Amino acid sequence: MTAVIAIDDLSFRYPGADQPSLRGVDLRIERGDFCAVIGGNGSGKTTLCKTFNGLIPHFWTGEFTGGATVDGLDTLESSVAALSQSVGYVYQDFGNQLVRPTVGTDVAFGPVNYGLADFRERADDAMRVLGIDHLAGDYVWELSGGQQHLTALAGVLAMDPAVIVVDEPVAELAPARAEETYRMLERINRERGTTIVVIEHHAEFIARYAGSVVLMAAGAVRWHLPVREALARTGELAEHGIPSPQIIDAVSRLAPEAEVPLNVGEAKAALDGLGAPGPVDRRPAEASSARPIASLTGVTHGYRDVHGRLSKVIDDMDLTLREGERIALVGSNGAGKSTLLNLLTGIKVPRKGTVEIDGLDTRRARPAELADHVCYLYQRAEQMFLKDSVREEIAMFPTERARPGTDALVEEILDRLRLTEMADRDGRTLSGGQQRRVTLGIGLATTPALLLLDEPTSSLDVGTRADVVAMLAALAETIRCVVVATHDMHLVAEWADRVLVLDSGRILADTAPADLFDDPALLETVGLVPPQISALGREVGIHPPPLTVDEFVSAYAQAPVGGR
Amino acid sequence: MTEPRTATRKRSLPDPNQLSSSQKLMVFVLSMTLFGLANIFTEILPEFRLGPVELSVSYLAFVPVVMVSLFHPLYAALGAPLGEIVFVDLLMGDFSGIGELEGYIQLALGLYVGGSLVRDPSRKWQVAAAAMVAVLIDKGVGGVIDMSKVWVGVEDAEYVDGLPESILVIEGFAFASDFIISGILFGAIPAAYLAARLHGKIEPLMGMTPRDADHPVPGRARKNAAFIALAVFLSLASAVFTFLEAADVKFGVWEPDFLDQYGTGFLWVGAGASLVVLIGTVAAARANARRSRAENEKER
Amino acid sequence: MARKQRDVLSVEWVKLELLRTAYATRGGLMSKFDPRVVVAWYLVFAVVPWLTHNITTLSVLFAVGALAVVLSRVGPLVLGLFIFGLVTETAYIFAVAWFFDGDVQTVMALLTLTLKLGTVALASMAAFVSLDPEKLSDALVSMHAPPLLSFGVSYGYRMLPIIMEEFHTIVDGYRLRSKPVERGFLGWRIPAAVAFALVRSFYPMMLNTAKRTRTTVEALETRGFTFAGESKAGRSMRLAYLRLGPRDAALVAVTVALVVGAFMFGQHLPLLSRDF
Repeated sequence: MTAVIAIDDLSFRYPGADQPSLRGVDLRIERGDFCAVIGGNGSGKTTLCKTFNGLIPHFWTGEFTGGATVDGLDTLESSVAALSQSVGYVYQDFGNQLVRPTVGTDVAFGPVNYGLADFRERADDAMRVLGIDHLAGDYVWELSGGQQHLTALAGVLAMDPAVIVVDEPVAELAPARAEETYRMLERINRERGTTIVVIEHHAEFIARYAGSVVLMAAGAVRWHLPVREALARTGELAEHGIPSPQIIDAVSRLAPEAEVPLNVGEAKAALDGLGAPGPVDRRPAEASSARPIASLTGVTHGYRDVHGRLSKVIDDMDLTLREGERIALVGSNGAGKSTLLNLLTGIKVPRKGTVEIDGLDTRRARPAELADHVCYLYQRAEQMFLKDSVREEIAMFPTERARPGTDALVEEILDRLRLTEMADRDGRTLSGGQQRRVTLGIGLATTPALLLLDEPTSSLDVGTRADVVAMLAALAETIRCVVVATHDMHLVAEWADRVLVLDSGRILADTAPADLFDDPALLETVGLVPPQISALGREVGIHPPPLTVDEFVSAYAQAPVGGR
Repeated sequence: MTEPRTATRKRSLPDPNQLSSSQKLMVFVLSMTLFGLANIFTEILPEFRLGPVELSVSYLAFVPVVMVSLFHPLYAALGAPLGEIVFVDLLMGDFSGIGELEGYIQLALGLYVGGSLVRDPSRKWQVAAAAMVAVLIDKGVGGVIDMSKVWVGVEDAEYVDGLPESILVIEGFAFASDFIISGILFGAIPAAYLAARLHGKIEPLMGMTPRDADHPVPGRARKNAAFIALAVFLSLASAVFTFLEAADVKFGVWEPDFLDQYGTGFLWVGAGASLVVLIGTVAAARANARRSRAENEKER
Repeated sequence: MARKQRDVLSVEWVKLELLRTAYATRGGLMSKFDPRVVVAWYLVFAVVPWLTHNITTLSVLFAVGALAVVLSRVGPLVLGLFIFGLVTETAYIFAVAWFFDGDVQTVMALLTLTLKLGTVALASMAAFVSLDPEKLSDALVSMHAPPLLSFGVSYGYRMLPIIMEEFHTIVDGYRLRSKPVERGFLGWRIPAAVAFALVRSFYPMMLNTAKRTRTTVEALETRGFTFAGESKAGRSMRLAYLRLGPRDAALVAVTVALVVGAFMFGQHLPLLSRDF
């Protein structure tokens, strides 16, 4: 008996649904496996994983046929409480999974509830394994997203379950933080022999960490294969919204006969026979002299914390944002990115120095007036939804201000963002990518000079992300200057032409994307992970490194000595 | 390894109108969180005081009223006042011990009754009426308790010149302004508007079927609620009349001569009677809740 | 009118002050005792004032309550609100009593009431302000309060800053995306606009919170919360740290001595006692 999860001919239909969410699922997951479950939206991935701990059919009731055995327990006969000792679940919106005020008590919550006498040791142990033991006394709401995710994972780990299910860790986390979670999962898998099941869109992570891959489609398991075999089926994966990782793409274009590489090292080895690549052909960036849209002069800002201390978040900053620029604002958490954005909207005014937007001093203008010139799109799309339907949401600003031609503008925006079909639906019921498009629509409808976006690509799957990047690129026609605060280096590579690296309230570097990725020391300081293709480019000796797979391939084409 | 199953096992759908225990918990937590948040604002909102007229928002009644109108009234009504205690009183250090208990019971009772009267949350008048009933019960019972505190706290209160009248006036004004501000401006009007907008939209987010005329609250809550409303109203009326007597306010010919016969001790009988009715009402509500819970369990 | 970053009397300040009250435990007198003893201490001061009409006794009890508040290092916001409420309420009662032809007797009668209510309020402040809400909920659970109460307290404790932040974001969204407010006569439109924004903001807030609650309750189920309701083991483990020590005994002794002393003092020196 080696299968920890055995599912036989399982079907499930939610009450009132026309279609079953799962149909005839047969699946065996071996004990100690690191299994990635992939599939498009609505393929039944999450529903499947919720049958493991009995949430289906005990918590979410419905029509359930077939059987599932997890760690020797029949899920239909056992309660969620009993199954949860064998299966731990980390949610996609993991923040809502934390129910106690401090990290230490939250991690111990499960063991205490189950009356395990060694709850303290279990909690301490779990926190130590994940490297968050120093946070034990901190309040949950003080934590960053990554720390919250590790806390949720520790709470699950403290129960020492046979299986841990993690639902889309990358969705709400910055890639560097998700990397951390994956390293921890790998360690738990190796040291404790715990079976790990992840729901994942990002082929990069699957390639580097998973042992096997389950592809779900239309409520059924299409196949369950070892990772290398699974990733070789690039066409089929792309069809289900999972484009292959950049390095696999690059290697298959340059050396089609080579084995599928799972990491940068393997990719480099696969390309060894091709000879040295040439430089990337790129126009050098010239200093822009276009009209300034926003300028900060000697700006210092800070907040008082709970203990009454004043902490400086922006420190004596001078900055000019010019017309036509596509600016990425990067830096670790707490570097001052959101404060800078807030100062640029005029919601906050600086303690010292001046902020001017489109010629208006934010101190002299009311936020509602500034809203005509600058628009800020929050990271969580849902927080921007104030109305009942997408159309009303987009029309709200121009209607309230009685701008002429509002109807035509709204229809045009709906059309451009491909939202016409869902114009009468409530924004909250849409998928992540659609929600993001709606917020872009809200921004477009205000026709600002300066558009600010906070993490526009977080919680999007790879396909949708590409979509949003394309939309951003198209914004240049109507909006004069766009600033994006992001952790997503793919976005930086593909979209930005100017990168501001923020660290402890100062601008550490004001540069171009390629130069940023060519400076490992700088990347290390602010905790950024370059796109795999740039990392591979550096490995094979391309300086400055390529930003896209196309650039990488073209570098080989221009090689002084022909590769083939 | 388990053997292959021979017969297909099936788990059939439970009655969608029947709330599972987790859904009850969801309603409870949601109601608690939202009313807690609402109360943080009333803590901050300023009060306007002009002579005897105090204008203050004592709570944003529309928040819990929307909850009891849309979801199962009992669990929403139990959750909301706890939100106030937890978010404002406990966390802000404004916890008043026993006083919280009476506030909790008053508000929960009012909300439960109000919510049970709603048949269809998309009907604005029903929700508005629920809001008014809820505030009426809460503030009415609260006012009577305040008055009785004076009775217990002041030696021979009925003999102190001007005291009963002043208390009546103060409580009367407070009641009227609370009813208008909390019950109507921040109660009935926004509740009717929000409940209609949220109806059919918020329930699916929590995996529940919306409540409407065809899918009423399970059990006999409505009938019971009407009974409780009547009982509370009567007990309130009797308590108020007790005070009116003490204040020597006379209504027309209604001048009970048994007062002379039995002395003012009779007043205590009046107050006691109203208390008994109140306790009886609460006990009835509890028993009803227990019964319906037992029924639920049986049906599951 | 130029805007500037203010440290007091701004939305940020209020938010911060609320958080400070809720989380920055000032570590006063009562936080050192077993929470159950603190609750019992409070109950004594909540009941005893109602047993007498003697102004001297009540004054002593009031003074004890006031002393306890000082020792508990109650924050200025809470204390200020209390004093303000006490003074206005009393003044208001006096005014109305005078209006209805009351005299000194009426005033003295009302003074006893004010002292009683004041003592109870002071005691509750002293007891509960410096007490960690988590500890208080543990004490209540050990006195067999429903487990939902204890959950509610810690959940509220965890969620407060997050939902406040989310609500602020939504209100800001309304502010920026709506028509700029005109001031109107005496600026009456501004409070009206605030009230409208407040009510409207609850619409998205309710929907977002509903979604959030769904995950939370599901997680509670998987983390054994309902299971704990049925088993006694978890409860006793959680409460294991509650232990009565000599310090707690001392608090009980001092309290009893003070209460008895107050009554005896009142017997000896009755002040303005009325007789009918």
